[in-house]
Amino acid sequence: MILGVSFDTPAENKKFAEKFSFNFPLLCDTDRTIGTAYGANADPGKGAARVGVIIDPQGRIKEWHGRVDARAWPAAVVASL
Amino acid sequence: MLNPGDKAPDFAGRDHEGNAVKLADFKGKTVVLWFYPKADTPG
Repeated sequence: MILGVSFDTPAENKKFAEKFSFNFPLLCDTDRTIGTAYGANADPGKGAARVGVIIDPQGRIKEWHGRVDARAWPAAVVASL
Repeated sequence: MLNPGDKAPDFAGRDHEGNAVKLADFKGKTVVLWFYPKADTPG
């Protein structure tokens, strides 16, 4: 299961999802709660840092990456699951 | 930052279609969180 997360509004993310035909949910973390909890709110004046996190089926962190490649990383991870 | 083995912080929110999404929905599955700075920016 992949979840995209940004600090954008639902309308902005809907456009983004439609443009790229994403088949996974884009969470609209407009108050930055999730980003803060996961270390992706590095600069409150900017958008989310490109953090990538893998959570195992027991709800524990398996991997945490501070900067992932925007395009290659999600595809590579999904392929490895 | 988080370290391997840490309990993943619970979260709940809404997706771009307005659906409620929370971490507990995916218990028993591997979940990938992909943060990105702004919808539709390169890099």
